Amino acid sequence: MSADVMIRPGTRAVPAGTRRRRRRDPGRVLRLYVPLGMYLVFTLVPFYWMLVFALRPAGSTDPVPWPITFEHFETVWNDIGYAVFFKNSVIVGVWSLLVTTVIAVMGGYALSRYRFRGRGLFMVVLLCTQFIPGAMMLIPLFSIFKSLGLINSLASLIVADTVFNLPLSIILMSGFVSAVPFTVEEAAMVDGCSRLRGFLAIVLPQLRPGLIAVGSFAFIHTWNNFLFALMFVSKQDSFTIPVGLSYTIGEYSADFGALAAGGVVAALPVVCVFAVVQRYLVHGISAGAVKG
Amino acid sequence: MTTMRRRAVPYLLISPTVALIAVFLVYPIASVAYYSLQHRNLTRPWADGFAGLGNFRQMLFEDEVFWHSLGFTAKWVVAEIGLQLILGLALALIVNESFIGRGLARSLVFSPWAVSGVLTTGIWILLYTPSTGVLRFLGQPEAAVLGNPDTVFPAVVVTELWRGVPFFAILLLAGLQGIPGELYEAAAVDGAGRIRRFLHVTLPHLRDAIVLATLLRGVWEFNNVDLLFTLTGGGPAQVTTTLPLYVAQRAVDSKDFGYGSALTMAGFVILLFCSLLYLRLSRFGEER
Amino acid sequence: MKMKVAWAALAVLAVTATGCGSDSGSGEGSGKTTITFWDNNGGARTPIYQELIKRFEAANPSIHVEYVGIPIASVQQKYDTAIAGGDTPDVGGVTTSYLANLTGQQALEPADEWLTTSAVNGKLAAPMLDSVRKTVPDGKLYLVPGTSNMDVVWYLKDKLQQAPGTWDEFFADADKLTKKPDAYGYTIRGGAGSIFQILAEMYSYSGVSEFFDASGKSTVNDPKNVEFLTKMAGLYKKDTPEADVTNDFPKMVAAFGTGKIAMMHHNLGSYNDHVKAHGKDKIGAFALPTGPGGRRTVVANPVDGFAVFKGSEHKDAAWKFVEFLVSHEGNSYWNQQTGQIPANTEAQGDSWLQGLEHLKTAVDTLNDPNTQVVSPPYYLPQFSSITKADTEPLFQKVLLGQMQPQEFLDTLAQKLTDAQAEWKKATGG
Repeated sequence: MSADVMIRPGTRAVPAGTRRRRRRDPGRVLRLYVPLGMYLVFTLVPFYWMLVFALRPAGSTDPVPWPITFEHFETVWNDIGYAVFFKNSVIVGVWSLLVTTVIAVMGGYALSRYRFRGRGLFMVVLLCTQFIPGAMMLIPLFSIFKSLGLINSLASLIVADTVFNLPLSIILMSGFVSAVPFTVEEAAMVDGCSRLRGFLAIVLPQLRPGLIAVGSFAFIHTWNNFLFALMFVSKQDSFTIPVGLSYTIGEYSADFGALAAGGVVAALPVVCVFAVVQRYLVHGISAGAVKG
Repeated sequence: MTTMRRRAVPYLLISPTVALIAVFLVYPIASVAYYSLQHRNLTRPWADGFAGLGNFRQMLFEDEVFWHSLGFTAKWVVAEIGLQLILGLALALIVNESFIGRGLARSLVFSPWAVSGVLTTGIWILLYTPSTGVLRFLGQPEAAVLGNPDTVFPAVVVTELWRGVPFFAILLLAGLQGIPGELYEAAAVDGAGRIRRFLHVTLPHLRDAIVLATLLRGVWEFNNVDLLFTLTGGGPAQVTTTLPLYVAQRAVDSKDFGYGSALTMAGFVILLFCSLLYLRLSRFGEER
Repeated sequence: MKMKVAWAALAVLAVTATGCGSDSGSGEGSGKTTITFWDNNGGARTPIYQELIKRFEAANPSIHVEYVGIPIASVQQKYDTAIAGGDTPDVGGVTTSYLANLTGQQALEPADEWLTTSAVNGKLAAPMLDSVRKTVPDGKLYLVPGTSNMDVVWYLKDKLQQAPGTWDEFFADADKLTKKPDAYGYTIRGGAGSIFQILAEMYSYSGVSEFFDASGKSTVNDPKNVEFLTKMAGLYKKDTPEADVTNDFPKMVAAFGTGKIAMMHHNLGSYNDHVKAHGKDKIGAFALPTGPGGRRTVVANPVDGFAVFKGSEHKDAAWKFVEFLVSHEGNSYWNQQTGQIPANTEAQGDSWLQGLEHLKTAVDTLNDPNTQVVSPPYYLPQFSSITKADTEPLFQKVLLGQMQPQEFLDTLAQKLTDAQAEWKKATGG
């Protein structure tokens, strides 16, 4: 493998077969569109069902939400307080995403590029942190946060979620760093770049799919974390969306319309943001491949 | 001087992580280990005290649910990881091709992964429950898939696949980007067909990504409580109780924190053993 | 480069959002006392408390009440974590079903002294006060009752014209009204919360008057109870939907809401859900049928109310808020909204209560001198875990035919008997 391959990242993503545009190829239909279509049905039916419950009046059992009503959205946004929960979720999610990604790139780079003493131990410790369910560590974690004065603030959620996201993120990131050949960096360093500049200029752009994957994992874990959000915060205007979701279903309340509407509010923004971001998961879109 | 500095670089890079783990995770994990040797039960405060290996003895020799939950956990993790890997890989390969509407297709098939465990179960309970679900439109108005011990396992597996396959697909798609296109071209020149290109170019390059994804996801599925807890509560009649779900029932619902800690330690040891074994057997990170 | 813009935008969004999010909601420093109130069933009941807090603050301008809604499924875990971490609220919603756990952790302040000087003294229903005091070994009042509940069978009036008076009539009706798969006579709660309901049904059928006999043995496996459970388990899949085995509250209400099910056992608290699904006029309720000799036996529901926590730094303000919540005005409003039985005797006499047929039925039943009330051992700290995590899966086995009713009730009885003996020894009682 030569360094000159790496200089043209745009060419790397596209498997050879796809260059030949054989749209009419029946094999292609069988290979691509049939399984994709089946999978899309599997993916979309639950979403559709959520929309049906969110948009049809309470008590209706029609499989089509008609006439459409927005009463459930009004309930969750105004009565249950999703407006505030939503803002909090965004704050916690974005901060956790940023902090996790930065620290994970550092740690992942160290794990991948250096053979330092204690590296194996560090790996094992990272894994070990994943072996114990958060619920079992709740009370000691609570005490730590309390002694640091972090209880009852969104900061406690940002820190807690970052800590729990990190091990997984670092291990994943080290894999992505390893996939970038070291020869590229060496070439840059030979050209007189410092290691940091070499990293920023050469490696980081190559890491883009990995950054997207790891960053979005961090964001979504945080966005969806119910246990910490409820336990470390005891303030109505500091709760996040998962707490709001839990309000709609329980003893004495079985408001599936509100659950579904809350679910749409919880899922839609993430799905939309991800729809924009996912294109960066794949190299070379700008380099001439067919745009999606 | 420079070598000193160079040696310090990796330690500097991992220092934030080490600091965070030291401050926030060492004590909580140690406390679980400590309580596994204690009787600690909020409903029987008069009986609290040192237990020695009593909790473990009870777990290993008297607790049928422990053994049953262990068996189910293994079944659950193997089924989930196997299917998520196969479907996730297939999905990644499909959306890595170029075709019209690729961006839209990719956004759509990845989207369930953005949905939380609680919401996933919320939606699937609606789908599965006869009175609110879709099965009545398929001529099965009475089918209670979550209430029937024969159908509950496939039902929960499918639910978790819905959310879990995109995880694999995203990771493997990102991994696919690291494969130089020239390799495929070289293979094509050699006359390799689609299947041989997959076996000899794609798979070897994805090996590390697959090992990592299966390992991390395996650990994650092992400890995945939120989905089963809200979907089935471990039922009916405990047929879908995983070890961590049983931990939650003992430690949280029954407030028997000592015994719950012992169960947690059992899970910890099992996961540690399996992870190290898996990394060794898969020769992770070798001959790069 | 688009990426950089996106990242920067995200960062800016996060920073600015934090800036305006961090300083909201503090009422302190302005001469006001702020107390925190945890609602133990946040969500559907949040608007009720928001209204009550508004009224309370208007009457007490120096006190600010900060409302926190805790989802009911996680409320015990939240309290346990907060107590262990030393971060409890000033006032919390608490029911007798987990009161013993909280007092066992020394978390609550007794209300006895406060009550003697309070305006609500003498105005709270004696049976509820009694029930609270019996929950703790020292007999103190750690919870000020706000409401209680009663088991009823909800039914659709267009399907069932005449409410059954005895269990035999009930079983006959359940069978008669079943035309699978479009109509079912009844629905069994087989998921979370199943045990309490089956206990209430069994004791009303058998008429057994105490949970433990004189020697401290549980009466749960009394032959008449076993007989009842055998009959009820026999209804499963015959006159009830197969999905019942995993029925928790939301699923059960959803099933009843489709209109296919004629009768459903729950308590007064689900009234609003049924009205939402069927409309006020279609819904009826009857007390659980009578047992031998036409005698009615009722298993006492937990009493729900308010506790002041020991860690509170503003106990005076906290008591003041509790006093308002159980006052005629506050208590009446709360129970009218939820359709439950007020603890305040003045509120019990309010006209709205007379207008609600199901509630009138309940109050009349409870006040009838012929009604026999059986009190479950809420004082056992293990009661909640025995009747939930320990035995709910076994009840599902009974429905699925994997366990005999006799064996199930023997197991449940043994656990209760053991817990009772252990508790007696530990408390010296």
